[in-house]
Amino acid sequence: MYTLYFKIAIRYLLKNKLYSFINIFGLAIGIASFILIMMYVNFERSYDTFDGSENVYRVYMDYLEGGNIFKPGDAQSYNMTGPTLKKEFPEVLEYVRFYRLEKTTLKSNEKVLEVGNSCIADPSYFSVFNTKLLKGDVNTALKEPNSIVLTEGLAKIFFGNENPIGKTIQIFWREPILVKITGVVKDTPQNSHFKIDYLLSYSTMMGWGAIDKREKTLNWNQNMYYTYLKVAPNSNINALTKKIIESDFDGHIDERHNIEPIESIHLHSNKPYESEANGSIMRIKFLTAIAIIILVLSLLNYINLSTTKSLERAKEVGVRKVVGAQKQQLIVQSLLESIILNVLSLVLAIIVTVIILPVYTSFTGKVATFEYSSITNILLVLGSILLGMILAGLYPAILLSNYAPSKALKGKIRTSTNGLHIRKGLIITQFLATIVLLIGTIVITKQISFMKDQPIGSDLNNVLAINGEILTEKTDSILKKNFTVLLDEVKKLSTVENVSLADSYPGYDFHSLSSFMGITYPDGTQDNQKVWYGYEVNPSYFDVMGIEFLRGETFHKNASEHSNDIVVNEKFVKEIGITDPNLAVGKKTKFWGSEWNIIGVIKEYHHFGLKSPAIPIILRYTPTKDFLIVKLNAKSIADYRPIVAQLKNTWSSVFPESTFNYSFVDQKFEAQYEEDNKFGDAFRIFTALAIFIAALGLFGLTSYTCIQRKKEIGIRKVNGASIFKILKMLNIDFIKWVVIAFVIAIPIAWYAMNSWLNNFALKTELSWWIFAMAGILALGITILTVSWQSFMAANGNPIEALKDE
Amino acid sequence: MLLQLKNVSKWVQSGGQKIFLLKDINFWVNEGDFISIMGPSGSGKSTLLNVIGMLDNFNEGEYSFLEDSVHTLKEKHRANLYKQYIGFVFQSYHLIDELTVKENLEMPLLYKKFGASERKSLVGDMLDRFNIVGKKDLFPSQLSGGQQQLVGIARALIASPKLILADEPTGNLNSKQGEEIMETFTQLNKEGVTIIQVTHSEKNMKYGSRVINLLDGSVV
Repeated sequence: MYTLYFKIAIRYLLKNKLYSFINIFGLAIGIASFILIMMYVNFERSYDTFDGSENVYRVYMDYLEGGNIFKPGDAQSYNMTGPTLKKEFPEVLEYVRFYRLEKTTLKSNEKVLEVGNSCIADPSYFSVFNTKLLKGDVNTALKEPNSIVLTEGLAKIFFGNENPIGKTIQIFWREPILVKITGVVKDTPQNSHFKIDYLLSYSTMMGWGAIDKREKTLNWNQNMYYTYLKVAPNSNINALTKKIIESDFDGHIDERHNIEPIESIHLHSNKPYESEANGSIMRIKFLTAIAIIILVLSLLNYINLSTTKSLERAKEVGVRKVVGAQKQQLIVQSLLESIILNVLSLVLAIIVTVIILPVYTSFTGKVATFEYSSITNILLVLGSILLGMILAGLYPAILLSNYAPSKALKGKIRTSTNGLHIRKGLIITQFLATIVLLIGTIVITKQISFMKDQPIGSDLNNVLAINGEILTEKTDSILKKNFTVLLDEVKKLSTVENVSLADSYPGYDFHSLSSFMGITYPDGTQDNQKVWYGYEVNPSYFDVMGIEFLRGETFHKNASEHSNDIVVNEKFVKEIGITDPNLAVGKKTKFWGSEWNIIGVIKEYHHFGLKSPAIPIILRYTPTKDFLIVKLNAKSIADYRPIVAQLKNTWSSVFPESTFNYSFVDQKFEAQYEEDNKFGDAFRIFTALAIFIAALGLFGLTSYTCIQRKKEIGIRKVNGASIFKILKMLNIDFIKWVVIAFVIAIPIAWYAMNSWLNNFALKTELSWWIFAMAGILALGITILTVSWQSFMAANGNPIEALKDE
Repeated sequence: MLLQLKNVSKWVQSGGQKIFLLKDINFWVNEGDFISIMGPSGSGKSTLLNVIGMLDNFNEGEYSFLEDSVHTLKEKHRANLYKQYIGFVFQSYHLIDELTVKENLEMPLLYKKFGASERKSLVGDMLDRFNIVGKKDLFPSQLSGGQQQLVGIARALIASPKLILADEPTGNLNSKQGEEIMETFTQLNKEGVTIIQVTHSEKNMKYGSRVINLLDGSVV
């Protein structure tokens, strides 16, 4: 029996090639999109899950903001935090503190390499993060000063297949240090929010001049440490959190400690000084919604097409019933057919997924493989696909098996109003989803271009940021001299317009900014709540970066190294209670125990673009600093490579033993929007797919309607209706449905997009034309699809249509 | 007696009025009969055939088939009854386009859950009996109308029904093919199969042993 069913199904699919193709292809697109999106979603959700991760929490700081509301203010805490919490609360079994050096340069075996995730950690790291050493002894690896644990990849780069244990490596960061390798760990997995390239033992800090004494003696003032706690399994976390919040070990009334599960950091935490830019639960929710919408759309589509097609098979069903088929048998056959079709689609979808995966992986920048999806997640994804398929197959099956044989044989199947209502509901749902996605796409595109077009108060075009590590010991005064020479030499190059030094620039890492609290306003008001940010620059910096002054001017060329002059942005001026920025120059403010003199106010300046609100920034003078900022002569730029080579030569002539890195400032700045750009691209691609699938469904439904109304169309034509009149008649129903869907879509889309826009400090407007445009697009697609099909029906010979009866 | 209809009426409501499709039909069939139902278009021939075949309901009257009172049976039982005892032959053959001749013949047996070897021998018998062995792997579209109808009859017969209902079986055929089909029916009838045919043609009518004339839903 099943062989026969199978044969019929295959022959039927082969006979109706277009129908089969549309159906299989549409479903495959839907399933492939669903799998791809869910792989990404699963990856994002898989962050920081390891054996025991459910008991690991990160301590962070809440800051008091305006009155009595505490808000998450810093991902870092104090070096006293961990030991104190462990001592005070029995639930806390263990703590580990990290001090992130971020970028350092390593040298060993004549190899030099810059790495980005350099860390100092307590020996308890291995127990809290449940990490095993590939080489070395867990109990001693991070105990002694000047010992280092490398990741596998790094060890391989420096030592190949040799055993690195016991070998030494030199670290350049402010002050070079020689350390001994005591262990090798696996590379940090991609789905970890806290990536490391190596770990230095905590005790190394004590004898290392690179780290300020204020930072390394036990204190409640410098919160520069990431603290993670391992709590006893089954502890009452709510109670512990409450106790920690209410404790006041640090004695600062305007802040408090708080904890969060490590597993939720990647998607839920977005605090200043995160160890890396985190994901966003909002994006994950949106993507999950899109995945489900696309899958449901393709299934609805399948239902529509199969019910359409089932009309043509009414005769066959009649015959089967008459020769003895039970209703059940008919349902089983129909289901089998849909299973065959669905399995074909699934296979196609998996092939498509596998083909697209490499492109997709490089697009998302995440390793989206099944490796990171747990078995439950895979089962969940496959389960929902299967469930959808069965449901989608069941409706046409039941519909088909319900035909009365005497009518079915005569081809007199006209749908019941009930069935029509269901199909109407399906098609309205499709339109609804399509319009919501369209509105989403337009809003996201608008917001991204809005952010890019906003002035940030700085011209980043043709600006290069160059840095390198000087691998020889040099005193400060020699360095200062070298930098002066370097500035002069670089400025002499014809391709260079201007040059400066700075330790940060717009769009660069949050960590490059220093931050502090506690300031005295010019009018004497004492403030301990607000957070202030700062970095150091050379006098020509403003010129190089195209930053304009509202009032005042830059630092004096020969300013003293310990100058107390500062340049601030407008935001800062407003925050310290000066309403008119024009009056700020000459005002004095106190912090860090000294008095600072405002000599210039720069115009509205967004250090971090427009995702976050402008921060109050203080720029101080420096003669020597990390980045050489070079503004290139716009006219001379055809090819960057010779210019970079030239700059490298100049750099090497001043610092013979050094590394050389460069990046384009505008690219670096753009990179902040990378996630949003990708999200926008993903949204556009998947919206286009969804629309395509919906159009397929529409196509199916139109051909269905045309079959249904074939006779009516014939009669109208015989009686003189023009093709246009008939097209209009056939279109009007669909237009009605689009309008209904549109009306329902508006509030849903408005709500969703409004909550998305709330992630941005500066947001574009949800203008009326966005909705209108989406509506018109949906209507246009509808009319095109419907007219294409109905034109053939309207153009047909009416005699054909009437012959039937 | 194979079946009996007593005072059977069927109507539809239209604008508050009853329109009779069948009116007060009294009618019986013995095993071995070959009955022709005649009448002009719209006289209710096909409706009567559908009622006998239990594909259609009626509004009033009694219908007994063998020992069962059809009018008191539930839908499902009624369906089982006709599936067991009745074979249908249609004017437009109604073969399944996606199946070969052999598979079309096999289909009813599959639904009735015959074993594989039994199916094979029954299909083989039918192919022999109707001389279509050479055509067993062809699809309906590759056959002439007469051949398709032969397959249709073979399919109706394959599960050994007591009664064959044929609705204008020669309506789509030319006269020569039509004659062959009617000869086949006569032969089957001689072998003991009860046949009821609906026909327009006087010529075909004469193959039957009894004629029922219908006009406007009533027997005349």
